Parts: sequence; C-alpha cells; structure tokens
Amino acid sequence: MARPPGTADRQMPTGARAALVVALIYLFLVGVSSLEAGIKIMGADTQERLFSAVSNPIAGLCVGILGTVLVQSSSASTSVIVGLVASGALGVDQAVPMVMGANIGTTVTNTLVSLGHVRQSAEFKRAFAAATVHDFFNVLAVSILLPIELIFKPISGIAKWISELLVGSGGTEWKSPVKKWVKEPVGWLKDLWDQFGASGNVKGALMVATGLVIVLIALALVTKNMKALVAARIERSLNAILGKAGGLVALVVGMIVTIAVQSSSITTSILIPLSAAGVLTLRNAYPVTLGANVGTTITALLAALAASSPDSLTVALAHTTFNVIGILSLYALPFFREVPVIAATAMAEIAVRRRVLAVCYVVGLFIVAPLVGVAILR
Amino acid sequence: MVLSFFRAGDTGLDHVVTRSVAMVSDARHSFDLACTALLSGAQPKSIADDVRETDLRINANEQQLRGELAVHISVHGPNDIGEVIGLILLLKKIERVGDHAKNILDLAESGVSFANEPDIDELLEERRTVSGFFSEASTILAEHEGIPEGFRDRLDQMVDQIQARIDGYMTSDEPGHQVVPRAVYHRYLKRIVANLNSAVLAATEPVRVIDPTD
Repeated sequence: MARPPGTADRQMPTGARAALVVALIYLFLVGVSSLEAGIKIMGADTQERLFSAVSNPIAGLCVGILGTVLVQSSSASTSVIVGLVASGALGVDQAVPMVMGANIGTTVTNTLVSLGHVRQSAEFKRAFAAATVHDFFNVLAVSILLPIELIFKPISGIAKWISELLVGSGGTEWKSPVKKWVKEPVGWLKDLWDQFGASGNVKGALMVATGLVIVLIALALVTKNMKALVAARIERSLNAILGKAGGLVALVVGMIVTIAVQSSSITTSILIPLSAAGVLTLRNAYPVTLGANVGTTITALLAALAASSPDSLTVALAHTTFNVIGILSLYALPFFREVPVIAATAMAEIAVRRRVLAVCYVVGLFIVAPLVGVAILR
Repeated sequence: MVLSFFRAGDTGLDHVVTRSVAMVSDARHSFDLACTALLSGAQPKSIADDVRETDLRINANEQQLRGELAVHISVHGPNDIGEVIGLILLLKKIERVGDHAKNILDLAESGVSFANEPDIDELLEERRTVSGFFSEASTILAEHEGIPEGFRDRLDQMVDQIQARIDGYMTSDEPGHQVVPRAVYHRYLKRIVANLNSAVLAATEPVRVIDPTD
C-alpha cells in the first residue's frame, strides 16, 4: 500500500530528537533551580507573605488545583512545588495537599477534550464518562487520603523514610549531582538580571518568572518530542490492551506511556476519542488513567534532582506515594473500585441530557470551587 | 502485553496492511472452498465449518483492525488520515468478499451443484480466474507499489463478462432450476470481483487526489 510521501520527510532523525530531549530535560532542571534560587533571593518576609495563603491544607489543595488547571500540567505544577520546597518557602506539610490538588487539577485536560464530542450524544456519553472517571477517582482519593494524611501523616512519613534511605538524613542540604550541573546556567541568569540593575525582591521575582517560563516551555517541548519519539510504541501498547487487557496490565501500560511522554494529560487525552468511538470501554480506560497518575510523578522526582533540599525529594516521593496508596486502597478493593465508574456513568447520563451541566461541572470543580476555597480559607 | 511498549515491531499502519493481506488470503481460502462444494461435488457439510470459521475470523480481524486504526489517529493525529480512510474501506471490502464466499457455500448447502453440468469447464475456468485475482490483490497490498497497469481493466472486464452472463440467465428460456442458481452464483461472483477491485483502489488511492499546484 502506497504510504503518503512527506510524513516521514518531516520527521527529525531519532538520534537528533533524543539528544534534543536530553537537552530540554537539562533546561527543565535549570528552570527548577532558577525558581529555587529566585525564591531564596526574595528573603524570608516576602516568602512568608506570598505563601501564608497555603498554610491551610484545604487552601493548599485548592491552589494545587488552580495552578494545575492554569498550566494544564500536573508535571509542571508539581515541579514548581518541588522548587518552592527546595527554596524553603514551602514546608512538606504545606506542599503535600498542593500536590494532591495538582492530581485533581490535571484531570481537567481530558475532561475538556471530552467536551469536543458534545454534538454526538452516544459518543459524548462514552467520552465524558471516560474523562470523569479520572476526576472521580482522584477526588475520592483526596477525600479519603487527605484527612488521614493530616491526622496521621502516613504519606509524608513513607516519603520521608524513602527520602532518608536515598539521600540520608544529614542536615537541610544534600549534594545532588544534578545540582552541580545546573549551577552555572543559573549563575548566568542571575548575572543577566544583575546587568539590568535588578536586585532584592525584584531580582528574585525575575528569577522565579524566568524559571517558570523555562520549566513550562521545556516540559511542553519534552512532552511533544517524547511523544514523537515513542508514538509507535504508545500505539502498540494501546493496541495490546484494546478490549482485552485486565486492570493491572492497563495500569502498567498507562504508567509506562506517561513516564515516556512526561505528561498524564497526553495519556488520558488519547483515551478520550477511543472511548468516544467505542473502541475502548470505560473499564479498560479507567486503569490506564490510574497508571498515568503514577507515571506523571516522575517529573517531580526529576525536578527534585536539581534541588538542594531533601524535603523537595520528600514532596516528590509523597506525590508518588499518594498515587500508589490511592490505587492500592481504592482500586484494589472491588467496592471502592466501582465507585468512580458508577459516578462517572451517572454523571455522563446527566451530562448527555443537560449538556450545560457538563460545562457547569467543569467550571465548578476546576475553577469555582477551588477559587472559593482559597478565598475563604487563606 | 505490558512489554509491547519496549518491543520493536511494525508501526500501526504497516501492521494493519500486513494483517489485511492475511485477510485477503483468508477470503480466498473461503472462496476456493465454497466453490469446491458448488463446482466439484464436495460435500458442503465437510467444508462448512472451515468456511464459517474463516468468515468469523475475517470479521473479527476487521473489527480489531478498525479499532487499531482509531488508536493510530488518536495517537498520531490527522497526518495519516487519507491512508486510514483507505484502510477502513479496504477492510470493509475484504469483509464483504468473505461474506459472498459464505453466500456461495449457502447456495451449495441448499442443494445446488454444478459438478456434473455441461458448462462446468467454463465455470471452473471462471473460478480459477477470480481466485487468481485474490492472489494479485494480495501482492499489490503487500508490495506498496501501486496497481500494476491493466489489473483493474481485467477486473472490470471480468465484471462485465459476469454481468453479461447474468443478463443471459435473466432472459433465458431454460427452466428456472437451471438458470436461477447460476444467476445467483454469478451475482456473488460479480460482487467478489467488484469488491476486490474497490479494495485495491481504496488501498492505493483512498481519496480523490487534488493537487493544489495543478
């Protein structure tokens, strides 16, 4: 069969693209380090003023949701949180609810993708259910695990234990090898803003802004290039689970694909048109999204490598621990496993009858509720 | 299954093409078997299970490969949309060829046999020609080099020839039990050839090519 000319011609050689990805990951780490350096320059008073809003864990959760909705990437928002923890501006106790919020916020992307099917009732019902099953699982996980974490601290406890195993418990600094590699370009950024006459809080804010821009651009490009690099492999993996794989296999596939592309939104959004077309059932798609929850935590772990504080690694590990515990406690138990499926199916039934309610749901869960939360609890 | 991510292998569309070539072979197998019952006097019972299982396999493959094409579009976006449309059409055409082979078996199972009829040599020659078309279609799909010159003309001529026979049966003064089974058989034969023709066209030119520089 004649393959269309041009599609292959436009592709960058694999080796060059792989080298580009490595360079972009380095740039991403420079961004995280710049963020950390910027916050440190700002001084304790400014840090206190900026982050006092998230001293309430529910407000922190809401900030995590809003921040992730804004950048449409939990990888980016959790990496920023890791950078803030590394700078000392945020403590582990404040950061863990924010990371949980990021887990909820990241589900907005595939829910928005599902709204694209709104004109076809049957398709929309399947797509919306496949998207919201991710929402409901993550909301349920947070509803159960956040109160437990606030009282008994099992998630941060496990994360701290692993962190100590990995980097030891000595002091507030750890000698990350990656930190050394990114020190120089961060120094160049400081010099750059010095040359413009920036100092104190202004210089700190500029370093933070530069770091944020670098993190967002580098992550977006890493995701885009990794997707191009592994698209055929993603396709093979999805074909392997199509309509026949059990939960565990689908979960692992979701995790591997997400680690490869560094974005749970990519993984979960690919599932939506497949669910809409009826190629993938809700029960097939559901574990893939849970695997994506775990896979996406790799980016924050990567970011922690560029940070100097063991606490930042603890927070990154807390993100992974939270998602693993969420799966073990909610997906492994048949009763809890069905709750998101039932809720998503019911929600899709409602949404297909009153489509405006689907929009209200998205705006309400991802924008209004967290905004109200921050406004009341800050 | 989990390791499929790490394994090397055909990319999505190449895999679908490879499987569609296998489906054409399956359809040819069904056709040859069904014709054996109708033209060579083989007991339909002895081959019915094989034909029906092959037809089910063709149908299942069509469903699975359509799913894989949906995955391809979801993962890669619309870059390959023309090729995907062509492959969806191709799969449908092959599935229909399989259906018509099963229809020929149904005809044999209803008691029709041309084995000892005076025109059997002509009918066998016709079957051989059509069976040869399957083989050529498989090669065209597998080799990715377009349709050889004259292939589609030969298919069109065969369709015209079969239609002429059907027209002859429709106006024949022969008794109904002679002409009706032949007309029905030739109708299936015509649809098989026409679907093979459409299949190779769908694979090589899925949508009408409009060149903006023309």
